[in-house]
Amino acid sequence: MNNAHPQTSPPAPATHDPAQDLANKRLAILIIALVGLLLAGGQTLANLATQGHAAFNTTNLGLFWGLPIVIYDYFLLTSTGLAMVASLAIVTGAEEFRPVLRRTVWLALAGLLGGVVVLMLELGHPLRALWAVPFSFAFSSPLYWKVMAVSFYVLSLLVLLYRLLRTHWTLQSLRPYALVALALALSVTAIAGVVYGSQSFRPFWASGDIPVAFIFESLLGGLAFIYFFSYLAYAFNPKWMPADLRHLFDTRLPTLLALAIFIHLLFVVARLGSGLYGNAEGLQVWQYLASSPLLYLELFVGLLLPLILLMLPQTRTYPAVQIVASLLVMNALLIARYEYIIGGQLVPLFKGAWAPDLINYVPSMTGWLLLLVAIFLSNAVNAFGELKLGLGSNEQ
Amino acid sequence: MAKWGMVIDLDKCTGCQACTTACTMENNRLPGEHWQDVLFYHEGTYPNVKLMWFPRPCMHCENPSCVSVCPTKATYKDPNGGFVLMDYNRCIGCKYCQVACPYGVRFYVDEKAVVQPDIRGAFPSDDGRQWDPPYKGPQDDPSRGIGIQPHGVVSKCTFCYHKVSKAPEGVADLDEDIPELKEYVPACVRVCPPKARFFGDLDQPESRVNRLIADQRGVRLKDETGNKPQVYYLSGGASASVPSLRSMAAAPAPEDAADTINEISDTASRSA
Ligand code: SF4
Ligand code: SF4
Ligand code: SF4
Repeated sequence: MNNAHPQTSPPAPATHDPAQDLANKRLAILIIALVGLLLAGGQTLANLATQGHAAFNTTNLGLFWGLPIVIYDYFLLTSTGLAMVASLAIVTGAEEFRPVLRRTVWLALAGLLGGVVVLMLELGHPLRALWAVPFSFAFSSPLYWKVMAVSFYVLSLLVLLYRLLRTHWTLQSLRPYALVALALALSVTAIAGVVYGSQSFRPFWASGDIPVAFIFESLLGGLAFIYFFSYLAYAFNPKWMPADLRHLFDTRLPTLLALAIFIHLLFVVARLGSGLYGNAEGLQVWQYLASSPLLYLELFVGLLLPLILLMLPQTRTYPAVQIVASLLVMNALLIARYEYIIGGQLVPLFKGAWAPDLINYVPSMTGWLLLLVAIFLSNAVNAFGELKLGLGSNEQ
Repeated sequence: MAKWGMVIDLDKCTGCQACTTACTMENNRLPGEHWQDVLFYHEGTYPNVKLMWFPRPCMHCENPSCVSVCPTKATYKDPNGGFVLMDYNRCIGCKYCQVACPYGVRFYVDEKAVVQPDIRGAFPSDDGRQWDPPYKGPQDDPSRGIGIQPHGVVSKCTFCYHKVSKAPEGVADLDEDIPELKEYVPACVRVCPPKARFFGDLDQPESRVNRLIADQRGVRLKDETGNKPQVYYLSGGASASVPSLRSMAAAPAPEDAADTINEISDTASRSA
C-alpha cells in the first residue's frame, strides 16, 4: 500500500497537478518556518548577547524558572505524548493509526528539538551540561534521571523512525521498538512530574499524582498535535487527505481526543478544588489564579468547548471543528504548563524587605521570542520531513 | 571530624545588618543579593503590630535538598565540617537547587541586579567573572564557591569555609573573643555587635553552641522540611522570633500598608 500521494484527488482543472500543489504548499510552510526561525532566533541571540540571562526577567527573589522552562517542558511533554500515542498504537496493533505513525514519530523528534534548544539557551552553561550531567552519576537528582531518560528516549525514537521509514513493515515487526519507546516516553514524562511533585515545601506543586497528571496531559497534547499537524501537512485541505487518514480522523481520533480532554479536565478541576479550599502555605496562589481570566480561558475555551465540539455527532467530523479544537487544546496546555510552573514559585520562600507579596512575574520579550524559536524550529523540521520523508505513507 | 553549626540568639539580635555587611564585604556580594540577610517584616494588625526581623544565612543543612536535586553534583556536602559548598566548575546554571532550597538562600549570578543601577557595569571583569570590584578578598577557590563568581552559576554562603577550615583541629568553638581564634571565625559572627551569633562544633557535646541549644531550647527553621539545618535559633520571645510560616515573615503588601497608614492617621485625627 502506498499513500505517499493523496488517494482522493481534488476535482482540479486538468492543468493542475494536486501532488505538485501540495509539494509547493509544504515548501512554502518550510520557507515560512525558516524565515521565522531566522528572525526570532536572531533577535533572541541579540538580546542574550546584550542583556545576558537578565533578558528572561527571572529573579533571585524566588521566581527562578520562568517562561523558557515552561516552553521547554511544554515541548518535551508534547513530544513524549506523541511518542506514547504512536507506540501505543503499534503495541496494541491499532491498524487505523498507520497513516499517522511516521508523522507522529517525526513530530515527536521535531518538538523535542525545539524544546531542547530553548533549554540550552536558558541554561547558564549548556555545553558543560553535556558532560557534567551524564558523568555526575547524581542518582538522587530527578533532573539527572530526566536527562538520562531523554537521551535514551531520543535514541529509541530514532530507531523506531528508522524502522518506520524502511519498506514492508508490519505493526507486529515494530512492536519491540515501540515498547522501548513507550517505556522511555512514560519515564521521561513521569520524571518530569517528579521534578516538581517532589518539592514538598511547595504545596502548589507537591503531589504524588503529578507524574500521572503529566502522563495524561502529554497524551492529550500528542493527540491534539497529530490532528493539527496532519491537517497542516495537507495545507488544511481535507480533500487532499488520504481516505484512511480521514477515516481515522472521523472515527477513533475524535473520541480519543475527547476522552483525553475529559481526563485532563478531571485532574485540573480536582487540583483547583482542593487548592481553593486548602489553606496550606503556598496554596493561596490558587486564589490568585482564580482571579485571572487566563484560568477561565484554559478551562472553558481551551478544554470545555473542544470537548463539547468533539462529542456532538453533528460537529465532531467537521475538519474545521477538528482543527480549531486541536488548536484550542494546544493553547490550553501551554496555559496549564505556565500556570503550574510559575504558580509554584509565586509565594516567596521568605517574604521580607525584598519580596513583600506574591512575586510579580511578567515574561520578557526574549521569553516570548524563545516560544517563537521553538515553534518555528519544530515546524521547520516537521515541514522538511513532510517534504522529503513521505511522512504520510503507511510504508515506503 | 567537626560538624560546624551556628546559633543565632534572636533575643539579642538588633537587626543592625552588620552581619549582612560583613558577609557582603567578605564575599563580594551585590547590593540586595546578600548570602546573609536580615529580613524585616511585621506581625499582627493595627493596633497590635510588631516590627520584626530575622537574620538568615544558608542553613548548611545536614540533609540538604539543594544537594540531592543537583544533577551534576556541583553543590555538595563536605564531610569534613559539614559545609554545603558549590563547585563553580561543575555548575550548569539549571537553578534546580534554588527551586529546591526551602530557605531561599541561593543566588543565580546572572539575574538582573535587585538594586539598580547594576554596580557590576562600573567594574567589568575580563576573566569571565561577573565583575571585578575594586576591593576583593584574596581567597579564590572556585571548586568551593569562594571568590568572585563566574557567569552562569549559582552561589551561596560558604560558612566562611576559607576561614573556618583553617581552624586548629579539635577546637570546640570559634569565638571572636579568643584572640588566637578570631581569624577563623565567620565574618558575620565576628562583627555581630550584640554578640547574637555563635559558631562551633555541633559534634562536641561540650561546645558552647550545643550548650546554648540545650539550655535555651534552640530551634531550627522549617524543621518539617527534613533538611535538618545546622543553624539554630534561640528565641525567648522577648524580641524577634522564628517565623513558623513563610507568610508570617511578610512585610505588608503595598495596599495593606496604605490602609494601615490611613487607619492610623484617622485615629490620630479623631483623638486630636
Ligand atoms: S539552606 Fe538551602 S542552600 Fe543552604 S544547605 Fe540548606 S537547602 Fe542547601
Ligand atoms: S544550578 Fe548548579 S548547583 Fe544548582 S542544581 Fe543546577 S548544576 Fe547544581
Ligand atoms: S558564614 Fe560567612 S559566608 Fe556565610 S553568611 Fe556568614 S559571613 Fe556570609
